[in-house]
Amino acid sequence: MATAALCGHCRWHWMAANPDQIINFMKDKEINIGSPVSRIDGILKVTGKADYSTDHPVKNAAYAVIFKSTIAAGTITNIDSVTAEKSPGVLAVITHKNAPKLNAKGGIRGGAMLQSPEVLFFGQHIGVVVAETFEQARHAADLVKVDYDKKEAKTDFEKLHQNGVKPKDKEDEKRGDVKAALENAEFKVEETYATPIYHHHPLEPHATIAEWQGENLILYNSAQIVNGAQNAAASTFNLKPENVRIVSPYIGGGFGSKGGQWGNLVLAAVAAKMVNRPVKLALTRQQMFNSVGLRQRNYQKVSLAATKDGKLTALAHETATHAAIEDEFVEPCGDCSKIMYDTPNSLITYRVTPMNLILPTYTRGPGKSTGSFALESAMDELAYKLKMDPVEFRLKNEPEKDPSNGKPWSSRKVVECLKEGAKAFGWDNRKMEPMQNIQGNYWVGYGVACGTYPAHQRDSSAIVKLKREGSNVTAIIELAAADLGTGTYTILAQTAADALGLSMNNITVKIGDSDLPPAAGSVGSVGATSYANVVNDVCMKVTDELIARSGKQFFVRPTALQLMISEKVADIQTRADSKPLESAEQYSSHSFNANFAEVWVNQSTGMVRVKRFLAVTGAGKILNPKTARSQIIGGNVWGIGMALTEESVVDPRFGNFVTRSLADYHVPSNLDIGEMEAIFIKEDDKLANKLGVKGLGEVGIVGVSAAVANAVFNATGKRIRELPILPDKLL
Amino acid sequence: MRPFKYTNAKDVSSAIKLATGNPNAKFLAGGTNLLDLMKEDVERPDEVIDITRLGLAQIKTTDAGGISIGGLGRNTDAANHPLIRQHHPVLTQAILAGASGQIRNMATNGGNLLQRTRCPYFYDIAMPCNKREPGSGCGALEGINRMHAIFGWSEKCIAVYPSDMAVALAALDAVVKIKGPNGEERSVAITDFHRLPGDMPEKDTNLSHGELITAIEIPKSNFADHSYYLKVRDRASYAFALVSVAAALELTGNVILQARIAIGGVAHKPWRATKAEQMLVGKEATEANFKLAADAEMADAKPLEHNKFKVELGNRSIVRALQMALDGGKS
Ligand SMILES: Cc1cc2nc3c(=O)[nH]c(=O)nc-3n(C[C@H](O)[C@H](O)[C@H](O)COP(=O)(O)OP(=O)(O)OC[C@H]3O[C@@H](n4cnc5c(N)ncnc54)[C@H](O)[C@@H]3O)c2cc1C
Repeated sequence: MATAALCGHCRWHWMAANPDQIINFMKDKEINIGSPVSRIDGILKVTGKADYSTDHPVKNAAYAVIFKSTIAAGTITNIDSVTAEKSPGVLAVITHKNAPKLNAKGGIRGGAMLQSPEVLFFGQHIGVVVAETFEQARHAADLVKVDYDKKEAKTDFEKLHQNGVKPKDKEDEKRGDVKAALENAEFKVEETYATPIYHHHPLEPHATIAEWQGENLILYNSAQIVNGAQNAAASTFNLKPENVRIVSPYIGGGFGSKGGQWGNLVLAAVAAKMVNRPVKLALTRQQMFNSVGLRQRNYQKVSLAATKDGKLTALAHETATHAAIEDEFVEPCGDCSKIMYDTPNSLITYRVTPMNLILPTYTRGPGKSTGSFALESAMDELAYKLKMDPVEFRLKNEPEKDPSNGKPWSSRKVVECLKEGAKAFGWDNRKMEPMQNIQGNYWVGYGVACGTYPAHQRDSSAIVKLKREGSNVTAIIELAAADLGTGTYTILAQTAADALGLSMNNITVKIGDSDLPPAAGSVGSVGATSYANVVNDVCMKVTDELIARSGKQFFVRPTALQLMISEKVADIQTRADSKPLESAEQYSSHSFNANFAEVWVNQSTGMVRVKRFLAVTGAGKILNPKTARSQIIGGNVWGIGMALTEESVVDPRFGNFVTRSLADYHVPSNLDIGEMEAIFIKEDDKLANKLGVKGLGEVGIVGVSAAVANAVFNATGKRIRELPILPDKLL
Repeated sequence: MRPFKYTNAKDVSSAIKLATGNPNAKFLAGGTNLLDLMKEDVERPDEVIDITRLGLAQIKTTDAGGISIGGLGRNTDAANHPLIRQHHPVLTQAILAGASGQIRNMATNGGNLLQRTRCPYFYDIAMPCNKREPGSGCGALEGINRMHAIFGWSEKCIAVYPSDMAVALAALDAVVKIKGPNGEERSVAITDFHRLPGDMPEKDTNLSHGELITAIEIPKSNFADHSYYLKVRDRASYAFALVSVAAALELTGNVILQARIAIGGVAHKPWRATKAEQMLVGKEATEANFKLAADAEMADAKPLEHNKFKVELGNRSIVRALQMALDGGKS
């Protein structure tokens, strides 16, 4: 790339010999990237042709059904499975008594792999029945009788949260002197905000087909991190990673619950080994509540201090939460508070208490969605005390650099999000005082809240295979990426098409298989960034190789398509292994948003409707505005659910969830969702990564519940600090 | 779910005969409640008798001037029938406030009346529940009871009955038509059809095993211009009622000739607010009078630990529903 010096700011340092090509090339550049292409896998999905985990046509499969503990703590003293074993069609009843010894520290989350008689939470897997049919297995599972020696269980967070200790991976983070600043504050807010347990509930429950071929294990199993699932399964069964293959071409949602893998995957493989046949195992919706992690209950105390003209002087965010008995996971509720606002004094702490509940795990916008509810509610409370517009209050506290580490932002468009959002939303129509906007039997209120989520690129590899027949060139892109239903296939086809000069129709994207080159997971909003960059890199690389092979000099860089034809290349393939830019380390990279909500609260019944919701997001280059919008409004809908409807309730006497189906655990229905609008601020963050993408899988949920709760306050004058805002809280 | 036998009944009398012959058999109508409960291992019939091909789906006027709704008609068809929309819009509103479009397309009118409580302790076989397993105790009494009863509960059971349709039917003084094992027919007022839990919470209704609901009859009334079904719930759609109110007024000028108020989500059966109704007769239809009536009715409520709000919510909902009824019932 010696000629790069010719044109330092641009990738296209080559000059074409033929001027027609220049024009052509300029036109084609980024035709696909940035355009609202519909999902290329959409037709497959709506016609039922996309195979999800247990849809794969594996022959001779037996069916497995898990049974679970009905106590929260203790020991299994006896399992009577005689009747179950004799029940028609039953091939095996597997419990801790006959399950193979496994490596419990192999990376499978949440234990529950039948390694001991110990019970650590209500609904722990304690056995699995394998039968010829699903119905036979389910029936036999009901026939197993289990006796326990019960122990006192830790199930009451209300009582336990005070006993929390510092988590293993989270030190207290202090800057300046928060205590003094609070004592001397002209204005302050010190309040505690509570959020309940939330579940992921992807449409596709966790499901696996396990098939052993000698020492090799094939797992058809949805995985947000294909290679992560491969490694965890291998390590658990003491196999080499290359002996395990994960097949996960389509994922029916995951939201973090399919980031790590859980006991159900292992039990499918154990069952397959024990009956010497492929085995299908799918969790029921009820089982999903206590099988695959959850977002834990948090009490978050936020203390803010400000001068009378609205300059923040202190921000403390202290979280009390729970983890499991055997393992710890604490979502970082203080993360937004570390970087959102400029303040000389800051304190972020966590205290965690182990409980007899399933291990919490990453859940969309981990820490940020719940943390922003606390922070952005407190900001709203303080704005009211200051009698200041909450938009203006936020603008006043915009930090020039990342306050937590002093690094410059790679990009940060909070000001633009707030200003453009306020304009688009008609924020001027908001009445400052609550209960002033009355429409018939409704109080109407407006709320605003900001959000953020980190932007990272992760190591990923990809192969491109080009093939020419006459003047028709096709490309296959291969990498072990994941598509959660978010549009990975589509954006990679778009990226490859532009990078190769091909039409999207001539691109085949193959992902979701651990036999393909290793790639990052679709987790932590790194998917689109990591995948698009490596695909762009590998397409650039193959073009470079074609140029080198031609032995010619070009003034303008030709496309791979042009080279394949002009150089009469029949096929070529290459691989790229991409890493994040080293220089990216010097910057603080995050996506940011501002959320605006209009709510109508029924004065008689307390029922809240979100009439309008607007999210304005700065998330780097938008690869596809259509799939991007879907991500954002999908996150918004969940955020509205967090604010108004979703809640899982534990009966502390038993440690079980009394909300145990989707009839009790309320995700928003269509009627709960009003007009949704998503605006993207123009951004192209080349400091973050080569393509300028920042990722937006999670930022869409961050700040949403606070915007709704703030709107509820603006409507009713009632500050609800414990989600969800159910009708009875507004009576 | 236990293995069971599936039998397709040819006609009404053979359906009843089949059921009478097997104490562990159950009729299968839309199956939207029964099959769910079988999968949860709560209901354990060894035979289901499919009654969906028996006809009994007609909606027609009766000789007495009322309207008869077939017991095996679908909820959607009942809600949208012109006779119902015209004469009993409160019933249309109530049905459409329940479940989802898909479920209402499957659900039958008889099945709707017989749907069982949604109490989570009833649904989870790992929990104690006197309704499911008499003598095992009530899990909800000292448990999570936000959704539970404030009227008519017993120490044995605090569950609420979940149907919306039945609340409107209670306000309309509907009558349930039943056919028994020897072909005999009987009529039970809807308000006597469901029971309070007392010492026998396992018995939801006064229907005996083998009896079939053939129709529901709604007597003629003059409420069509002034009725309303208000449902308060945790989300806008597809949630059971925290409290619901079917309100209907017959007016002369602004004076109330007759008032009907039935409350859902508060008891083991649709709760007729007879006290409130009586207070309103002969009074002006004003918000103040509505409030007095609501206060009188709700004064008898006995809330539990987590559902104290239902008293205030019930009160407001009565007033609001009456107000809406007065205004012509358009939301
Ligand atoms: C997720 C969900 C949400 C719901 N939300 C609501 C709601 O908000 N409001 C509401 O009101 N309902 C709601 N429902 C309940 C729904 O209305 C009932 O499931 C439905 O009405 C039952 O009718 P079915 O015909 O399917 O009954 P089935 O399930 O077939 O039968 C129910 C019972 O009635 C018996 N039976 C049926 N027909 C007859 C007959 N003619 N004579 C004698 N016995 C008979 C059966 O043996 C069985 O025991 C909801 C249901 C679900 C699954």
